Amino acid sequence: MPEVILQDVAKHYGSSVAVENMSMHISPGELVALLGPSGCGKTTTLRMIGGFVDITSGRISVGGRDVTALPPNRRNMGFVFQNYALFPHMTVAENVAFGLEMRKLSKSDISGKVAQALARVRLSSFADRLPKQLSGGQQQRVALARALVIEPDVLLLDEPLSNLDATLRQEMKIEIRQLQQSLGLTTIFVTHDQDEAMSTADRMVLMRQGRVEQVGAPDEIYDQPASRFAAEFMGIPNLLPGRMNGPGRFELEDGTTVHLDGQKRYHGLCVLALRPESIGIGKDAPVGAFNSLPGTVEIVTYHGASLEYRVRLGTSTFLTARTAAPGLGGPDAIPIGTEVRLFWPYASGVLVPEV
Amino acid sequence: MTSQAVAIDTSPMNEQPKPRPNMTAPTLLGPATIFVVLGLLAPLALMFRNSFNRYDPRELMVSAFTLENYARFFQDEFYQEVLFRTVWISALSTLICLIAGFPLAYFLVRQASDRLKSKLLILIIVPLLIGNAVRTAAWMLILNDQGMLAAFLRMSGYTGSLGLMYSTTGVVIGLVSVLLPFMVITLHSVLESIDRNLEDAAASLGAGHLTALRRIVLPLALPGILAGTLLCFILSMNAYATPVLIGGPKFHMMAPTVYQQVSKAMNWPFGSALAFILMAVTLALTVGASSIVQRRYRRWAE
Amino acid sequence: MTTNTSTGIRFAYGAMSAVILGFIVLPLVGVIWMSFFSNKILAFPPQGYTFDWYARAFAAQEFREGFIVSFETSLIAMATSLVLGVPASLALVRYNFPGREIITNILMSPMIVPGIVGGSALFVFFLEIEMLTGVQIAGTAPGLIIAHALIALPWTVRLVSTSLIGMNRSVEEAAYSLGASAMTVFFRITLPIIKPGIIAGALFSFVVSFIDLEKSIFLVGPGKTTLQIALINYLEWNLDSTIGAVATVQIVLITVLLLVTDRYAKLNRAF
Repeated sequence: MPEVILQDVAKHYGSSVAVENMSMHISPGELVALLGPSGCGKTTTLRMIGGFVDITSGRISVGGRDVTALPPNRRNMGFVFQNYALFPHMTVAENVAFGLEMRKLSKSDISGKVAQALARVRLSSFADRLPKQLSGGQQQRVALARALVIEPDVLLLDEPLSNLDATLRQEMKIEIRQLQQSLGLTTIFVTHDQDEAMSTADRMVLMRQGRVEQVGAPDEIYDQPASRFAAEFMGIPNLLPGRMNGPGRFELEDGTTVHLDGQKRYHGLCVLALRPESIGIGKDAPVGAFNSLPGTVEIVTYHGASLEYRVRLGTSTFLTARTAAPGLGGPDAIPIGTEVRLFWPYASGVLVPEV
Repeated sequence: MTSQAVAIDTSPMNEQPKPRPNMTAPTLLGPATIFVVLGLLAPLALMFRNSFNRYDPRELMVSAFTLENYARFFQDEFYQEVLFRTVWISALSTLICLIAGFPLAYFLVRQASDRLKSKLLILIIVPLLIGNAVRTAAWMLILNDQGMLAAFLRMSGYTGSLGLMYSTTGVVIGLVSVLLPFMVITLHSVLESIDRNLEDAAASLGAGHLTALRRIVLPLALPGILAGTLLCFILSMNAYATPVLIGGPKFHMMAPTVYQQVSKAMNWPFGSALAFILMAVTLALTVGASSIVQRRYRRWAE
Repeated sequence: MTTNTSTGIRFAYGAMSAVILGFIVLPLVGVIWMSFFSNKILAFPPQGYTFDWYARAFAAQEFREGFIVSFETSLIAMATSLVLGVPASLALVRYNFPGREIITNILMSPMIVPGIVGGSALFVFFLEIEMLTGVQIAGTAPGLIIAHALIALPWTVRLVSTSLIGMNRSVEEAAYSLGASAMTVFFRITLPIIKPGIIAGALFSFVVSFIDLEKSIFLVGPGKTTLQIALINYLEWNLDSTIGAVATVQIVLITVLLLVTDRYAKLNRAF
């Protein structure tokens, strides 16, 4: 499997910039997620790789071959569209066979490969159906089979799960991951859902307003978000603005001081990002807790395996703490209105710039 | 159409396909555009020019630059009456279409099942495309003094003569039946775009049905009501078959008069002037009406 | 279904709708009924039923000829509007170029300019060409065909464009990414997908051309009179069941065509 390299790729529409100086190196067999809010340029980037959008400047190469100027029909990439884009007037088998026909394979080769591809996505018995006779999940699998059967150099997926309901999404996520790993396919997929990206990708590229905000493995970005935007996008609810006022000391806006890993230094205004599972909650803080703040439980939400408490500190500051559910070894649920203390070790907060 | 899951990509980053600057679009569009320009726009331009020419009984038309054709219209009470009659008959027919069209459109959108609705829509559209000659003929067979309507009235004891043929009432009946489907279809599409939950919401807040119609549906449907009204009015202003056949030879409206001047009297300059007066008056009235309505209801429509 | 409307209100709408629908549809039903009356002079109630009026209508030269002229003219007008309209729709939907709006308006203008106005302009235009060159167009088949193709073209463009717009563009991109060339994509993907729109556009064009009255009335000539003109000429002097028979034939023909059209593209989307 070849590697994919983007060098300073940019896309401008007149004076507006869709993607700016994007450089990326995707290793053979790697699954990379392009992640970001809508309008961040992730889909444009994917479509540039696929050849559907002319790039304004830069270079894209696949396995050492410069594909920048190639039209999509000569790039040999499998593209799975958000709405699947199945040919509505062709049966499932005809859809899957189309790419092979374009490659002028013999009839017998085509039918063999189509059968194999359909078996791989468990749709052999649907070969003669029309796309509209299939469920969303089945259509998705046809789209995958159609993209994979041409043995593409790269698999590109544009929001592949967004049109599915929650259960199916979970299934398809696993299925795509398994297919990708068993075939060792270099894969790039676009999503706006950080959960989806985290649970599927080897590496994530977080984008914002046409630029790369942060690149890293899912746990790296979650543990060490590079900016307030990254922290927010990764779903970290506790973002406390303030400033450093001495080694290891961080002063919140309301004047409270909390303690940090002494090596973290930022000047000026910044934000302390605290993951909810790193915050403990109880009637009293354990002895020797580095940080401990008093508050009142405002809202309790149940998330199956965990409980989430929204706790009011002072007048307008809230923190969210997460504990394991009581049945799973967590502490007993704390009722709303209870005066509690929130505590966390000094090393668990991350300081990020206020942008 | 079938239920193709058509999710048009609305992402702002998506560009149109990328035809490089080439001759494809002009080649594809050229023949059709030239055809319409030569078949409609050039003749219209020529007709406009002709409306300033002078009519001559022997040479038909003498090139000139005179306003006398327009002046003749404004000096001759007969033609002003024709225009006036055309306008008020159109306005009346349009109003009746609106009043009659709304309940049917509302029924289709809010009360009919999907199956029934698609059947009824076909039932409404097919007459529209049966052709005005046949539809008017049908009304003639019904309205004349020995016709179906008179027979039914006789059976119910009415003995007087019907007198609907060659009457204004007959013309209005004919026009309304020709135009009503346009109104229903236009209202149908705008009503369909109004979320039915809005009416339920109004009801839950205590509004009766008529109040909900007046305060919620009407303002939201205004663009469609306006579109349907203007469409019917324009079509009625230009109606030909109904006034000629149901109105008879002594009943004059604008379109038949234009035909009479251009094709029978061969007075092209005057006929052309009449045609442009008809278009100008129609345009002025429709623009005027829509701007008044839009100003009046702006606070609702926004 | 709304839940807040009472039975009374629902009944009121149902009743009003029935009356209004009757007003639209019953005259046509009446015509069909009357076309079978055996009364010599049209009167109610019918004395009996007969097919004689159909025989008479068929025997009448103006109606037989009119039908053939109308059918041929509409068929050629339909073909012309497809040849001109399908490529034009493709360009309008698929390309972005300066003046697109203007071109769209130009192509739609035959639908907007009133028939009598457009017809008289075309009539005078043809006669002036004849005076200049000696070539007669008004009153000939080509003249009629030009007028009818003008009537048909905007409907073809509208219906074909609608189906092109409704078409999922990524389907074409998918074909490209699977290795298809532009030609292959057009003939194997685009054309089959918009085929219903093209068929609907063709049938619709045929119908609007077939029923045209206002433009044709200027351009008919001896032996070149369309059915609609034959009908109104006859109606100026006669009112009998022959008309009913001709009308019934037209009603049946158009209803069938429109029901077929509706299978390809919902009729109400054409307006």
